[in-house]
Amino acid sequence: MQLNRYLAICLCAAVAVAFAVADDSSSSSESNKDGNSKWYCDATDLCLPEEEVLTSAVRAQKQFESQRDCRLSCGKYGSIWPMPTGNCSLSHDRVHFDPWKVRFNVVAPSPVTTQFLRETNRLFVSNLLKECTRNCTFSGSKEVLVKATVTDSSLLLDWTTDESYMMVVRTTDTASFVDIKAPTVYGARHAFETLSNLVTGSLGNGLLLVSGARITDAPAYPHRGLLLDSARNFVPLRYIRSTLDAMAASKLNVLHWHVVDTHSFPLEITRVPEMQRYGAYSTAQTYSRADAVNLVKYARLRGIRILVEIDGPSHAGNGWQWGPAAGLGNMSVCLNQSPWRNFCVQPPCGQLNPLNDHMYAVLKEILEDVAELGAPEETIHMGGDEVYLQCWNHTEEITNEMRTLGYDLSEASFLRLWSRFHQRNVEAWDNINRHMYPKISDPKPVILWSSRLTDPQHIEQLLPKERFIIQTWVGAQDSLNRDLLHRGYRLLISTKDAWYLDHGFWGNTKYYNWRKVYDNPLPLASLSGPQGRQVLGGEVCMWSEYVDQNSLEPRIWPRAGAAAERLWSNPKSAAYLAQRRFYRYRERLIARGIHPDAVIPHWCVLHEGQCL
Amino acid sequence: MAHATMKSIAILLADMQYKLQSNIHRRPLGQAHLGLRYLYKMSLAVSLRRALLVLLSGAVFILTVLYWNQGVIKTQAYSDSQLRPHNHKDRNHLSIPVEKSWTYKCENDRCVRTPYRKNASNTKRVSFTSCSMTCGDINIWPHPTTKSLISAHTLRFSVEDVQLQLDTPHREVSKLLKIAFDWFVRDLRQIQRLDYATHTPEAAAATFVSEATSRQRRHNNEAPAPETQPAASLFGSTFGLQRAGDLESLQVKLSVHESGEIDFNLDNNESYHLSTTFEHQRLVVHIAAHTFFGARHGLSTLQQLIWYDDEDRLLHTYASSLINDVPKFRYRGLMLDTSRHFFSVEAIKRTIAAMGLTKLNRFHWHITDAQSFPYVSRHYPELAEHGAYSESETYSDQDVREVVEFARIYGVQVLLELDAPAHAGNGWDWGPKRGLGELAMCINQQPWSFYCGEPPCGQLNPKNNHTYLILQRLYEEFLQLSGPTDIFHLGGDEVNLDCWAQYFNDTDLRGLWCDFMLQSNARLKLANGNVPPKYVAVWSSALTNTKCLPNSQFVVQIWGGSTWQENYDLLDNGYNVIFSHVDAWYLDCGFGSWRATGEAACSPYRTWQNVYKHRPWERMRLDKKRRKQVLGGEACMWTEQVDENQLDNRLWPRAAALAERLWSDPNDDHDFDVVQPDVFRRISLFRNRLVELGIKAEALFPKYCAQNPGECI
Repeated sequence: MQLNRYLAICLCAAVAVAFAVADDSSSSSESNKDGNSKWYCDATDLCLPEEEVLTSAVRAQKQFESQRDCRLSCGKYGSIWPMPTGNCSLSHDRVHFDPWKVRFNVVAPSPVTTQFLRETNRLFVSNLLKECTRNCTFSGSKEVLVKATVTDSSLLLDWTTDESYMMVVRTTDTASFVDIKAPTVYGARHAFETLSNLVTGSLGNGLLLVSGARITDAPAYPHRGLLLDSARNFVPLRYIRSTLDAMAASKLNVLHWHVVDTHSFPLEITRVPEMQRYGAYSTAQTYSRADAVNLVKYARLRGIRILVEIDGPSHAGNGWQWGPAAGLGNMSVCLNQSPWRNFCVQPPCGQLNPLNDHMYAVLKEILEDVAELGAPEETIHMGGDEVYLQCWNHTEEITNEMRTLGYDLSEASFLRLWSRFHQRNVEAWDNINRHMYPKISDPKPVILWSSRLTDPQHIEQLLPKERFIIQTWVGAQDSLNRDLLHRGYRLLISTKDAWYLDHGFWGNTKYYNWRKVYDNPLPLASLSGPQGRQVLGGEVCMWSEYVDQNSLEPRIWPRAGAAAERLWSNPKSAAYLAQRRFYRYRERLIARGIHPDAVIPHWCVLHEGQCL
Repeated sequence: MAHATMKSIAILLADMQYKLQSNIHRRPLGQAHLGLRYLYKMSLAVSLRRALLVLLSGAVFILTVLYWNQGVIKTQAYSDSQLRPHNHKDRNHLSIPVEKSWTYKCENDRCVRTPYRKNASNTKRVSFTSCSMTCGDINIWPHPTTKSLISAHTLRFSVEDVQLQLDTPHREVSKLLKIAFDWFVRDLRQIQRLDYATHTPEAAAATFVSEATSRQRRHNNEAPAPETQPAASLFGSTFGLQRAGDLESLQVKLSVHESGEIDFNLDNNESYHLSTTFEHQRLVVHIAAHTFFGARHGLSTLQQLIWYDDEDRLLHTYASSLINDVPKFRYRGLMLDTSRHFFSVEAIKRTIAAMGLTKLNRFHWHITDAQSFPYVSRHYPELAEHGAYSESETYSDQDVREVVEFARIYGVQVLLELDAPAHAGNGWDWGPKRGLGELAMCINQQPWSFYCGEPPCGQLNPKNNHTYLILQRLYEEFLQLSGPTDIFHLGGDEVNLDCWAQYFNDTDLRGLWCDFMLQSNARLKLANGNVPPKYVAVWSSALTNTKCLPNSQFVVQIWGGSTWQENYDLLDNGYNVIFSHVDAWYLDCGFGSWRATGEAACSPYRTWQNVYKHRPWERMRLDKKRRKQVLGGEACMWTEQVDENQLDNRLWPRAAALAERLWSDPNDDHDFDVVQPDVFRRISLFRNRLVELGIKAEALFPKYCAQNPGECI
């Protein structure tokens, strides 16, 4: 009996041990096999494993435990994306630490900024945790003390916000110290983003941090944007939030939300509920007021403005159908007409009726809602592209009215009518802002797309340059940018043959890979006009005709990241020199839960310099 | 997870034993639960041995149950892992949302959208899917070839009403059909459950009404539908508490009499006949086929004859339908390269499930290449040790077998290709260390452009007998894993003769290439039990332009341009061919060059229309004899610029366009880039079906165009 008892105990113990062993082996199989070899950073800034490297060509005799470890400091900018524009020196030594041992010290002049930075710290830690290759907890960790100092007490975020920062990392025997100094909280948050680029997962537990660094950095352009169209195909909130996450990781700072179009009107306008009711694809495919407000907050915490676009007079149709039934007349004309080719450039058709006062009243209510939604300093994008004059010209209601008002039916008068439309809306916008935000004295400029209205020949008669910022969407070779700059207009650049991310899947358009996106220099301002900076920045555009949540992320990322470096750093060097940092940036996006496109065989990422 | 639980249970048991022992002469266990106290008493009263025996058998039982469940979880993982949206935070992230704001009317075979107000009109709302399924020609993909009749009358039922009636004398066939049917029901359940889980229509309607009437209230109305509600309806539907619909039962009768074959060959009869009888509230759908494969396709068709209606939250189907269907081509393939990037078994299974729904029948698995060797061979694990990206990015033979068995249920054959002699490098470098000599040459050699088509270089050694031995063993393993087959792919493309020229001073290097292919073919024969497979496929190349490979056995997969002379020459030389024209059926094209130098290999992107409109047999005006040499076609997904993050949307719905081209080959003599409105209508709905099942298929056009068929063309 005694024997039996022992036998049973042994059996149970054996079972337990067997499972424990099985557990161990399964977790160790996940570790990368390059754990066996040492890595070196060679003279041409390649990270190579021991067996491939020529010892004479090694830059520093420093050995790294993995390729990612090596990447942290190999090359002037290590794996920082986008690359800093000021000083950047990185040590080859590492601190092995536990993300839970990071302590924060925030020095900010006001409660709101303190609060903001605390949130930033939280987001920073959660991003660090995603870098852990194995267990984050590491018992032998030194303390990492991060001190962030901010001087400006406001949370204002617009084209004048100073997003620069300075960061020093140093390590002593007892602890590591990170010292961040920035004028604004937004600069500080970018610094934290950079700091997360100085960290990678260790092969064992915990994380590795570059032990010493000195970085000063400031963006080249104040407007670094991504346009997201949620009208052609609806984009669920979850996916907009993950887009914002990825933008934050790339230091992009404007989400241009093309929220409505002819196809659908998903945004809730509390003052005019009919818009959404008539225009949304379905009750589930909508953004409520609360959704939008929360989204603006979510973006803010990541240093991102949300710039809402209410496109008009063209690209507006569904959502506007209820005019006649409500006794407001036709607010939109040519609506869903077919054959569409006679009435618009893309089905379904629809264009606002510029001679219907009720339309202006409704539009003003929409603008009021938008003004309420955003930050006080935030402006609006009024669209204004691709007006199909034939639509108005074919609508009797409009041509009759024009004749009575003394217009002839020449192209010039249609253009005048069109520009009147924008002027009226800008007046309404100013009016709203005066009432809503009386503290802001200067009227805010609004943004329009380039169009026939912005033709350099007559733009100065139609659109005053003090009030309108033009977002151009012409090819890189087009002279429009130069002409408008010459006339003193401020511009946002969305180069059609490089930064249109939807191209390559329809018609004769071509796909622009990340190199093409990267190697797209923005035009230089020919003269420094009275407003100072004339090229405010640019935007990559994700039109959603052929994209919905299923393919949105891979279509945008990592290419938008290439534009992010163009806009933040405006590098003189070509994409070729950025590739290894770029591949690392892409992996970081994956770690953060984004699904970016693959850009090169995995083998080429692992074997640097072998796939030229 | 399961391991962890088992481990903890085992430890707990061991712990209990220990306590039992140490406490035996002390007071009873205060904190231990009643069962333990009972055991303790029992051990005192009778004997400790019995108690231990009970405990041990209990442990064994629990472990068995856990182990068993683990297997079940694994087979369903492809759908369970990500298909079911249970996130209540976002009410608008649903893949297929409820669209209560519209009702549809059928006008001239087109569904016309009009706004729907619940209180304004007394007419019943017609959902888009219901309209689309009952308006115009039959709405399934691919279109049936011979005959299809469906009634205008439809019936409503719930997934619980669906039953299987098997009518086959063949045991193996009945086993497979049972599983196929189970998965079919699982899909139906998922379609029907989508709404239960997240967004109940009542709640939607309620918010909608309130939105319409009161502006103020809406601001406070942020709370989503309470969680209990979907749970309650789930409960209800599971236990049949709310039986609704027109049917007592829907019986699916699957008849396979003629043949019990379950192994793939190109002569498999894939036709099926689907008919219905409706009596006493019982609908019997009878699918009769010659083989398992035909019945399988019939089931895919039936799945598309059933749709979910978000108005009454029930499944719908036709009161009567009659379909005779047989494919135009017997080889309908999709190739995936798992060497440039690694793809998980889950991603591969998901792809195969979608193939099954669209009746593609060959999954060509380009499992290795020069970049990596993810396959862990039983005989030569060194290959993966040296060639895989990492230990976790590998396929064990168990993984491959799992994929093969999974694919069989969907009527899809898995063809494993080990490309040779070119496109092999990483993984083959350990020969000298083991005294086997150089198995491959030029591995990762630079400058690569001298020695191969894309980095990294690598080419097998044609003069090392060990190379052939290893190949033979690998072929043997492949054949064992994939089961008996009459077609095997040897690769054989893009040999760079300059690579070999560095080592051999043969004057006829192309002869060397030819010898290599013939030698590996001989090895294949040995590996196949000394029986040569009826068809041996190779990629088209400079070699296939010579007559080195016998046309009786070799099939050429043509990947060159569709207008190239080689198309005609190969047919004239008597080869059977599979079309994979780069200018139509290469799904990886259009993303620019991935290298810093050089032009993009094959831009532009092939749209689904390009894929669909491609009919090389028509354009080449093939006569009857040559048409017979065309076994079929295959779409290729090379993965230099694709990984798991975007596999689904790169493949779908374009691979489905190919599927209809090869299954039905609809007549189509219009302009090259114009596709008929009916095709738009059907593929749009089919895309929805894919999304419903969790395949992240790309959008075909703005949703407006999907909701308003015909308006955007």
